[in-house]
Amino acid sequence: MTKTVLSIKGVSHRFGADGAVVPALERIDLEVPDGQFVALVGPSGCGKSTLLSLVAGLRQPSDGTLRCDGERITKPIPRKIGMIFQEANLLPWLSAIDNVAFPLKLRGEPKIERRAAARDMLALTGLTGFEDKLPHQLSGGMKQRVAIARGLVQNPAVLLMDEPFAALDEQTRMLLGDELLRIWSEARKTVLFVTHSLNEAVYLADRIIVLSSRPGRIVDDVAVDLPRPRTFAMTSSERFGVLKERIWQHIRRAERV
Amino acid sequence: MRRHERVMVAAGGLGLALLWELLARRGVLDASLTPAPSTILEALLTLVRRPEVLTSLGVTAWEVLAAFAIAAPVGLLFGILLVEVTFLGDLFRPLVNFLFGVPKSIFLPVFILIFGVSIPQKIAFAVFTTLFVVITGGIAAVESVPRDLVTVSRVYGATRWQVVREIYLPAMAPILLESARLGMIFNITAVLLCEIYGARDGIGYRIASWGENVQMPQLYAALVIVAVAAVIVNEALRAVETRLGFWRRVA
Repeated sequence: MTKTVLSIKGVSHRFGADGAVVPALERIDLEVPDGQFVALVGPSGCGKSTLLSLVAGLRQPSDGTLRCDGERITKPIPRKIGMIFQEANLLPWLSAIDNVAFPLKLRGEPKIERRAAARDMLALTGLTGFEDKLPHQLSGGMKQRVAIARGLVQNPAVLLMDEPFAALDEQTRMLLGDELLRIWSEARKTVLFVTHSLNEAVYLADRIIVLSSRPGRIVDDVAVDLPRPRTFAMTSSERFGVLKERIWQHIRRAERV
Repeated sequence: MRRHERVMVAAGGLGLALLWELLARRGVLDASLTPAPSTILEALLTLVRRPEVLTSLGVTAWEVLAAFAIAAPVGLLFGILLVEVTFLGDLFRPLVNFLFGVPKSIFLPVFILIFGVSIPQKIAFAVFTTLFVVITGGIAAVESVPRDLVTVSRVYGATRWQVVREIYLPAMAPILLESARLGMIFNITAVLLCEIYGARDGIGYRIASWGENVQMPQLYAALVIVAVAAVIVNEALRAVETRLGFWRRVA
């Protein structure tokens, strides 16, 4: 039995105050064991990204508690949780290697050590040779790789990914998806991955959490029983289609309301 | 500038000067109003050796620097406050925008009545003129800071001070330098306007009196001095701006 790394208990979240309260999430309970790849899907505006920002410690839930590795999340815990956004959000004045090393700089690590760690992460994400490039000299896919390397550089237990490939073209996102699975199998992180793409969710994840439309509630918890390593051929298999269909039914029902 | 461009600019300037020289010597141009460049150069070399001219230049430089030393930090501070403090922004930003479009020269008589014809009057008027440029630049600089980068640095554990040092300052630097440069142009213009309008010393005062006495070679020589000084200041600031903005995408 693997231990629980991420524990979300009775979490609700509301935006606004007094007169204009918008409920975003309602009674979310979720336990994620170490090393699991979890995809979060749901109709637009269901609070997927809100849930991620709660786990990141960027907001406080209105009710309930979140724990990472036993520690109560009340603010960002950079040593335990890394985060990747839809945009790479690299610091445009820093080279690739210094962007990756940025979290270590904030921690006060000496330059030589943090650069060594960053160089290893760039190698892991396939960017050896691009260490000294500035963000505007890199392609969209490469920038996102740098962001992934930055997310991994502190060796966190959990990697949060908020639609990380949504801004990329179809081919790049497929290639990066495979890259992410390779990195994940090497680094063995717990991943919480928000996506709009059912294909992406089924292809990448061990488990898919489906949220309802606002306020977001968990309406299904799907175990993806496709073998690993995942291959492109699986995306046209019957099982892949069945899983996708099951999730699609939830989303269609939610969108009609 | 690339080497090729530099050669072209130098050739263009030299060509115009030669043409002017030729036309002046041939008598096509009225030498009493537009003396030949060689005559102006001669006057220039004499001027820069006269102590009272050097004193005047010193007075002007002092007024320019003092006004800038006040206007730049104060304007920047106001600019930041107008963005970061919503209440102040709501109160004053429309006002700043309106006043930005008003020619500041119309206020000069008011400054003379308050401060008298004095160095503090020049500095105060130049501060007043420059302030609007720097405030507007400061607002633009703060607003140019990508919010997402602030979020990212918070996720990675940045303290408030680290957010300022690692995100705000580098992101704002190129725009701040740009507005400082534009502010400096307005600043120099304001000081010279004050001196030409009414003063006891300063290069603007000299320019006005040489003009009144139709001392054309001296007048033109002074224009050259001021122009060269202004270009040097502007280009120096631009060089720093380009250096600090190396990361900005080249179109």
